[in-house]
Amino acid sequence: MTTAAQTPVFPTFEQVFQGLAGQIGQLRKMAPGPTMPAARRLRRAVDTLIEETNADEAVWLESCIHCGQCTTACHYFQATGEAKYAPMRKMDLYRRVYQREISPLRWWYKLVTRPVKLSDFEEAQELVYDSCSECGRCTMVCPMGIDTASLVHHMRSAMVAAELVPPELAALRMEQKSMGTVFGSSPEALKKMVDTIREHYGIDIPLDKEKADVMVLSSAVDLVANGNGLLATARVMNHLRVDWTICSDGFESANFGLLSGDMDLWAKQVDPIVAAARRIGAKTLVIAECGHAYPALRWNPMLRSGGLPFEMMYMSEYLGKQARLGNLKLRPLEGKVTYHDPCKTGRRGGAFDEPRAVLEAMDADFVELPANKEYNWCCGGGAGIFLLERATRLRDESFKIKLRQVNETGAEAVIVSCASCRLNFEAGRQKNKWDKRVDSLVELVADHLIDENDTAAAEGVRA
Amino acid sequence: MSLLEFARGPAIHASLIIMVAGIALRLLGVLVLTRGADLSRPRDAFGNFKGYRMVFSRAWPSDEFTTPTRYQTIVAYIFHVATLIVVVGIVPHIEFIASLTGLSWPGLPNWMGVALGTIALASLIALILRRLSKPAVYNSTRGDYVTWVIVALPLITGLMAFAHVGLRYETMLALHILSSALLFAYMPFSKLMHAFWFVFSRAQSGLAYAHKGVRI
Repeated sequence: MTTAAQTPVFPTFEQVFQGLAGQIGQLRKMAPGPTMPAARRLRRAVDTLIEETNADEAVWLESCIHCGQCTTACHYFQATGEAKYAPMRKMDLYRRVYQREISPLRWWYKLVTRPVKLSDFEEAQELVYDSCSECGRCTMVCPMGIDTASLVHHMRSAMVAAELVPPELAALRMEQKSMGTVFGSSPEALKKMVDTIREHYGIDIPLDKEKADVMVLSSAVDLVANGNGLLATARVMNHLRVDWTICSDGFESANFGLLSGDMDLWAKQVDPIVAAARRIGAKTLVIAECGHAYPALRWNPMLRSGGLPFEMMYMSEYLGKQARLGNLKLRPLEGKVTYHDPCKTGRRGGAFDEPRAVLEAMDADFVELPANKEYNWCCGGGAGIFLLERATRLRDESFKIKLRQVNETGAEAVIVSCASCRLNFEAGRQKNKWDKRVDSLVELVADHLIDENDTAAAEGVRA
Repeated sequence: MSLLEFARGPAIHASLIIMVAGIALRLLGVLVLTRGADLSRPRDAFGNFKGYRMVFSRAWPSDEFTTPTRYQTIVAYIFHVATLIVVVGIVPHIEFIASLTGLSWPGLPNWMGVALGTIALASLIALILRRLSKPAVYNSTRGDYVTWVIVALPLITGLMAFAHVGLRYETMLALHILSSALLFAYMPFSKLMHAFWFVFSRAQSGLAYAHKGVRI
């Protein structure tokens, strides 16, 4: 261990959160406004919905009976009790477009429903962005099993076509469209961060190796704000002694194509990552702790991943797999902890057991949340909502559900494995002066590694 | 032609034709649409088939949601079961079905028919009262209320005809048959189609989540 390693150069997560909040404020000023005439924007939105509607969507739109049960599952409805946040309302406009344009009874619906206007889409913006994190919890209670989150995602797609993406997401979408990354991150920022980590912590990050078994992704949040995320990743990967690398031409986990609803950008963002992984002959692609990156890559419906020469894993899955294989040597974790399943990796991703295997490997005093795994409550900040200033009240109110759930466990700390959830938890922690710790899984693992060098050094000191 | 003859003849026959043709049109029109392909590799090669169990498992809410959905679930079950038994179980209905199909079976005693019809109507009223008392939860539309009225009418007129209250028996019976005809003809245009959609809707979601290794 060097002396430099004892002086942290990276901000604490509390500072990361405060810094990022300032940056998000700037985004609103950078947001592009609508450029097309209203009639064209409406036509494009309707056409997008028509194009994206298959039998699945049609059946779900047909099935709602307004029984109201979805309201019991939705954190935004439960937090506010306001009718407009009922999940069923979030598909009303989509259904009207479907009924008038696609349904086999469209001749009938054209008689009994109002024509769709651009102002309808403007009104729906709040429902499909601010007040739906596409967490899918309502599907768990719906007697018809309607997948509202998928329908909301199609609505977001229509919003992109209608130039109705909320300002923060619109700005980040434009940035990623032109630069490939977000928040001013870049291959140079990656290089700089790698150098900083080497100089200050003596930890080597093998950047741009020609061949490697494991390709690791990073994310803009780690590169421009939370250096500890990448540092922890490097410590863990080096500890595992695997042949790994980060590629400067395919490192960005964040995908504002998916978050905004821009399917083309979503697909385009994936290409350089897949190309880099192929080029270096990777067998495993590890996705950084960035919740939505998991569906963006691993569950990307447009990517035939069965035919790829590598496997895609979320950080928590990779860690869990290594823990089970006994490759992670970890010190026991002090104190009682609980784990929050991010919607995108949990209910809508299926990575439930692996993060728990990591905690088990740390011999953690682990207690489940009252509602956990597929029934977990969203933290309120998912699907880009953390970035929307307008959604602050919805986020803050719905976070109180999470707060109560964590308090009920009696845990001292809640562990998350998603940068977005973590930022939202941090916001909630600061606003509520909450006495709990919020930890990232990979950073926790890095802090509890039993390093052979450390052991040797410790023995040296004793001798 | 008396009102009763009209109801028993052209009215009910036309409504049944509209019902069958309408249901076929709406079901087939949707089910022939293309299926969007999810190209991602499933978590477990044969795991997707497990998704089909959702068609049955969602017949009752999971423990997580038992308490908040208790009223709706129990009352809705009572309504569906009682109505179904009355529709196929009382003697006049069996005679009507026999006249159309030639099939018949033993009927329930009269008192049981009246009891079940009353329970069905009471549960239907219990459902609308809750719908009216919690507007934010139900977000009711005009269609929800129209559907309720169209479902309630045959129950009310049927019970009245059976008990010989209200108008002359033949008139009450005619009104009962006419309101049933309205229900049949209305079905394909309404949310009553959920009688068919639930199978497909649940199976689709079950499959989509099973693809990711999630049991819902």
